Order: sequence, then structure tokens, then C-alpha cells
Amino acid sequence: MTRLVTGADANHTYLGLPLHVRFKAVSILTGLALLVVLIGPFVLDPYTQSVLIRAFLLAITALTVDLLWGTTGILTFAQGAFFGIGAYAAGLMFTHVGYTVGTMMLALLAAIAVSMLVAAFVGWLAFWQGATPLYVAVVTLVLPIVVVQLIYSGGAFTGSSSGLVGFDAPSLSMSGWFWFTGTIMVLLTACAWVFIRSDYGRKLNAVRDNETRSRYLGIPTSNVKIILMMFMAALASLAGFIYACVGTIVAPEHADFVFGTELVIYVALGGRGTVLGPVIGTIGLEWASAYVSSILPFVWTIIIGAIFVVVIVVLPEGLLPPIWRALARRLPARLANTAKSKRATVFHPLVEIGAKSSTTSLTQPALSLTSVTKRYGHLQVLNGIDIQIMPGELVGIVGPNGAGKTTLMRCISDGMERSGGTIKVNGKSIDHKSPEGITALGLGRSFQNTSLFGSLRVSECLRLARYPHYKPSKIDTADRVGLPLAAMEVLESTGLQAQLQEQVNNLPHGMKRALELIMVLSLEPSVLLLDEPTAGLTKADRLMIGRILTDLQTRLGLAIVLIEHDFDFVKQVCSRLVVLHRGELILDGPVQEVVNSDLVQEIYSGHVE
Amino acid sequence: MLYLFLDIITTAAILFIVSSGLLIIFGVMKIINFAHGVFLTIGGYSSLVVTHFDWNPWFSMPLAFVVGCLLGSVIERTVLRFLYHRPLDAILATWGLGIVLGQLIIIGFGREVQFAAGPVSGAMELFGDFYSKYRLLLIIFSVLVAGAMWLLLKGTRIGLQTRAVIMNEPLARGLGINSSRVRLITFSFGAGLACLAGAFITPLSSVDPNMGLPWLVSAFMLVLVSGNSFLALASACIVLGGAQVLASTYISPVIGGLTLAVLAALLLRIRPKGFAYD
Repeated sequence: MTRLVTGADANHTYLGLPLHVRFKAVSILTGLALLVVLIGPFVLDPYTQSVLIRAFLLAITALTVDLLWGTTGILTFAQGAFFGIGAYAAGLMFTHVGYTVGTMMLALLAAIAVSMLVAAFVGWLAFWQGATPLYVAVVTLVLPIVVVQLIYSGGAFTGSSSGLVGFDAPSLSMSGWFWFTGTIMVLLTACAWVFIRSDYGRKLNAVRDNETRSRYLGIPTSNVKIILMMFMAALASLAGFIYACVGTIVAPEHADFVFGTELVIYVALGGRGTVLGPVIGTIGLEWASAYVSSILPFVWTIIIGAIFVVVIVVLPEGLLPPIWRALARRLPARLANTAKSKRATVFHPLVEIGAKSSTTSLTQPALSLTSVTKRYGHLQVLNGIDIQIMPGELVGIVGPNGAGKTTLMRCISDGMERSGGTIKVNGKSIDHKSPEGITALGLGRSFQNTSLFGSLRVSECLRLARYPHYKPSKIDTADRVGLPLAAMEVLESTGLQAQLQEQVNNLPHGMKRALELIMVLSLEPSVLLLDEPTAGLTKADRLMIGRILTDLQTRLGLAIVLIEHDFDFVKQVCSRLVVLHRGELILDGPVQEVVNSDLVQEIYSGHVE
Repeated sequence: MLYLFLDIITTAAILFIVSSGLLIIFGVMKIINFAHGVFLTIGGYSSLVVTHFDWNPWFSMPLAFVVGCLLGSVIERTVLRFLYHRPLDAILATWGLGIVLGQLIIIGFGREVQFAAGPVSGAMELFGDFYSKYRLLLIIFSVLVAGAMWLLLKGTRIGLQTRAVIMNEPLARGLGINSSRVRLITFSFGAGLACLAGAFITPLSSVDPNMGLPWLVSAFMLVLVSGNSFLALASACIVLGGAQVLASTYISPVIGGLTLAVLAALLLRIRPKGFAYD
């Protein structure tokens, strides 16, 4: 039951370039960078080589900070600690057991395993529901403190404050290390570059831009972050391991929090979220400071610190992006034009329209609430709410401000919210499930204040909304997105289809609301919660939304719950009304009956006790 | 036993003094001032300057406070006011400022560890035990700091405006409170308090360019578990500071050094409000 429709307008890929062109660009750049690494030892003096080897390893670590912070929005000071764990794994093994290929492999394995385990624990500690970004920063700050204290307390075993020196380690010539580290650095950078431009990268951006919305699209944001953190910890640890092998020295400074902040500084200066910026920034700054800091030892640090402050305040995107844009403007016009024309012609975005076979049974309530209560301390916000909603019902919840309408929505869509009572979606209890868990039961929710991903494009938002139905690629970007019929209809009738390439921030308010509705519909929910879907919309838009809702209700059998202040709209679309007042359900019945009841009139004119 | 008790109380007092400047800034501006550590250091060097010129050691305290206020107001006007909507960037920018200021201190005073004269020295006899007079004095200082904060917040017009901004900034602005002015005053006051704290703790240890860093981490953790309440801060200082003293005494100083940070992080995981009670 899937038919394909070809849209005629722009495509959805991130750079607007077809995949094979992008890969060609990455391959050429990677090849060039590898060539530079190959030539390096022939033209550079040993001192510069050793400086650059260190810079390459720090660049890898900065890369991990960029993926965590720039791409996903996790400000972390812990990557230095993971670097230290890797370095000490090598140092401890080679000092106390000695160096053979076997011990080296064992130590490397241990380094990666330990850092991934620690990262999993740190992630568990940091990424719980409702953790603030500030709290995450705190936890990542505590880790390096703990690691350094453990090193200090290790006495002769860890070398305490002076670290471990002069152990046997795999030995390569200076040029050998240069080639080795340089190649790893270039390849990892290329992988990261492809990765953050893939669909999976968009998913990480979505988590950064709006974690709440992501959860209500069914993305398990905590797990996504924990897994990312584990892999980034492994990479940082690998860099630290190699660092210890190259220099045959490890010290507490390689794990501490100041080192962690240094990495963040490099990433911020280079350009967070760009991959190339942090890598180039790290190599450039490490190289420059190796020379300048010997001439101007104190002033150099002041210069870096001052530039850092200025960049954070006036140029949060970092130094590379503006430079890059200036260069791009100087590209020959012919080249720029071909890139553009490719963008317009090569791709025909395909929107799949699949009709969903309804699996919901018509005999059990789609949504059932039994004595749901919510308290804030002594304040009772919801008191014993009982509602049963069958598939195909369109229920309006009305009540004056402060009646508890939005609180009720929150209790239905997040299992941790309510203080008592049971809620079932399609017959299954929501227990204490997270929003993403409840989304998986078939519930879709829109917010009172439109909640979207500002930096993404419309097409990318639509793809994200299909999250439960597809696995985003870690390499590729899809050139099509499958939408259910209902979502497709809204897309067409609002004219959003012509703006698939537009960045969400640039859309007018009405379009944003429509996009949110389309995204929620793309989840193919059987229960739809809408919080003031028509707020701030024009009359024409409101009529359209009303039409769509009644259509969803009658044709697809969705159970729809909406909060609304506009009585005309409610009368027009709803089949049943529930009235909340001071946290109690005081009326529940057919629309006409409720609207005309004396009680409702009194509540809205403020005379009821 | 008495000795342990006094250790706990004085440690809590020191932590309270060191954290209060950070707390007032966090409470009003919802940003963490990572230059707090360097402000403490500047307070330490104010004492050193006083010692160097052979002035009365008591003078180091007002000097540190004034230096901090001036520095704080300059930083607020030039850097921080652009970052109120980007709290994570504010952490980074203040950390960058800390690097610059720390380096200026190294250029001015050198890297080496130095000693400043304290206003009071020696130990006094207390129920048969001897205890450092200065540490006991710090209890009084912390009570004075808390009292002064209380008086300022509850008894003055700017205090009332500050409380309004803490509770609901948009509403406060709607009522005609100049929240930009409140922020300026708060930040310079918080910075002054931080420098003052630096001057207070200097007689306990030595002065060096990195002396503020370990305190920054403790203060940061304490503030996060206290929200914006001074009462919560006081209880956090007693509980977590007490745990730190007990762990240092009975387990090992290394574990003691970790106790505060680890306990605070775990506490926030279990109870996001920490010591705040509302």
C-alpha cells in the first residue's frame, strides 16, 4: 500500500550535494591531507615533528569534544580524564609488567574497556530525565578530579604527582610516529566529518537543539548520549595511550580538569560542531604555542585567553566558519554555479505515502485515566481524574486558566509526572515510562509553545519524526522520507512542501505549528494530544486544522485530545467535551450539552464556588 | 572529639565564606562564574601586598573587597552582559578571564609560593585543648558575612530588587526594576565577596597563583546543591564539609579531597534540588 510521489522542488541533503559528490570531496581532501602527512618528516625538523605528533593526538581528543559539545550539546570537561586513563593504562602496564606486543594489546584493551565503563557510569549519572546542562558540566568536572586524586594516592604504583617516566614502550622513529599519528588523525577526522553530516548527525543536532521534543518523537536521548559518550571516551583513551607510547611519560596533568578545559578552548576557537575547525585549531594552536610560548612565555597564554573570551562573546561559532565563508565567496563564480545547479537538478526528493493499516481495536479505550492525581507539595493540581476515550473520539478539554489542563497532558505523556492513579494507552499502562517509552505505545503530543529544532531544515525534521520507523544512517543522508497519508496531506495543504529546504527558524509562526503537527502525525500515533493547536493561527489556518482533525478522527479512527480556549473551534470539531476546574473533572459529555450547561457558563464568568 | 567538632565547624565556615560570592551571582544571574577561583587568588595577593608594605593585616580585607568589586563591575559591563542567554558560554568566558587574570598575577608577582601575614596567629586554649585562633575567628567571619548578606537582601531597596529578580526576572522588569543594574551590582558584589574570601583564607595557607582553583570546584559543587538559598548553602557546608573532615580523618586525606565533589554530584542525581527545600 505504498505509492511514490515525486516532488519537483529542492532536495534534502545537508550540503545540497549528491552523496557520491560528497564522498568524492571527502576522499580528495583526505588524500591531500595524507599526502601532507607523508611529506611532513622530509621537510620538518625533529622538534616540529614532535610538536605536531602531540598536536595530532590532542586534535583527536578535541574531535571527541567537538562531537559531544558542538554536535550534541554536551559541554564536557571529562575528555581530558579519558585521555589520562588511556595514557596511564600504557604507563602502568609498561612500568610494572614490561613491554611486549602482548602486554601492549592487553593494556590497550584495558584502556578502552575501562574508559568506556567509566563513560557509561558518568553518562548514567549525568543524563537522567530533567538533568540540566549545568549538571552535566558538573559531573564531567568531577571525573577528572577523581581520576587525579586516585593517581596522587597511588604512591609509587602510579608515580603520584611526578607520574611515570622512562618505561619501555613500542619504539618507532620520529618520522614513524609522525606518519602513524598523522594518518590516524586524518582518517578519524574524515570519518567524523562524514558522520556529523549523516542522518545520525542530524539526530544528534536534534538532541542538542531541543531535547524535550526529541523525546516526544520517541528518541531515547539519554541512551543516545551515553553511547556517544562511551565511544568518544574510547577514542580519547586511544589518543592518550598512543601519547604515552610516543613520549614514554605519563603525568597527572594528562588527566586533569585544566587539560579538559584546554580541549574545550581549542574546540571553541576552531569552531564547535564543524569537525575541521577544532582539528585545525588544535594543530595550529599547539604548533604556534610551541614556538611563541618560548619567546613570550606569559604573554602567549594571555593572548590565547583573551582571544578565547572574545570568540565566546562575539563569535560563538568560532574562527573557522567565517574564514571559510570568506574563502567560499572568492571561489570562481563558475564553480559556485555548477554546485548550485547540481543542487537544483540532480535530486528529485521522493516522499513516500504509506497508508497505515489500523491495528487499534475498537472495543478498548485508546486512552484511559483512572483517578489520576498530581500534587506539588501541599498543592493539589489534579484530583482524581477519570476519563475513558475510545478510538475515533475527538475530545476537547476546556477550563479556565490554572484548571490543570496542561498538567493533565504532561501526566499522560510522561510517566514520572503524576503523583497517583493509572493511565493506559491502548490498554497498556504507562507506569513510570519516559516520554519516549510512551511515544512507543502510540501517543503523539504537541506543545502549547511550538517546540521544534531551530537549526534543522524542514525535511530533516520530517525525517526525525519518522524515527521509530527507520534507522538513521551514520554515513549517508536519505534522499527521501516516508510520510503517512495524514502527515502528507497537511504537508500539501499548508504549502510546507514547497519549503522542505527551509531552516525551521525562518518559518512563519503558522508554518511552525503546522510542521509540529505534521511531525506528530508522522509518528503514526493512535492517540493524539494537542495543546492549543490553533493558538496564534489565522481563521483560514484554523479551519484547515479543524478539517484535518475531524478527518483523522473519522477516517483513521484516531483518538484525539485537545486543549482549547476557542469555544467556536471546539464546538465545530469536538464530539465530546471535558471540563476541568481547579483540578477536578466537573463535566464530561457531548459538546452541545456541556457548552449550554449552566455550570460552564458560571465557571467562565467566574461565579462558581 | 572536641577537636573534630571544631574542625567540622571551621571547615563549614570556610566553605561558606568561599562559596557565598559564587552563590549570590548564581542566584541572580543563573550563571556560574568560573573566574571565582582567580578572584579568591586576587584576594590572597591583596593580603600579600598589605604584608609587603607592612600595613596592618586587617586592612587586607577591605582592600580585597574593593579590588574585587571594581574588577567585577568591569567584567560584568564588558563581557558578561552579552552572555545572559548563554549560561554554558558564560562558564567558558569566565574561565577564559580567569586564565588571563591568573597569568597577569604570575607576571606581576611570580610563580613562587609566598606568605602573607595574618591578623591573628597562634592557638588558644579551649576546654583543655589548643585550637588555632584564626580558624575560630573564621566562624565569626562567616556569621558576619551571612548576617551582612541577610541585612542587605532583607533590609535595603537594592536587596528587595535583587530578591525580585531572583524570583521572577520578567515580572521584576515589568514592574520597572532595572535588572541590568541589579546584575551589575550583584556581580561586582559577588566578585568583591570572592576576593574578600581569598583574603580570609590566606592566613591558613600560602599564596600562589593557583591557590583559588581547588576552592573553585568545592564552591561550584556547594552552590549547585544549594540553588539560590543561603540557608541551604549553610546546611550544605555543614553536611558536606563535615563529611569531608570525617573522611579525611578516618579514611584518608585523598578520599577526603574527593568527598565533597562526589557526594554533591550523587546528591544532585538523587535529589535535583539538593539542599534547597521549596
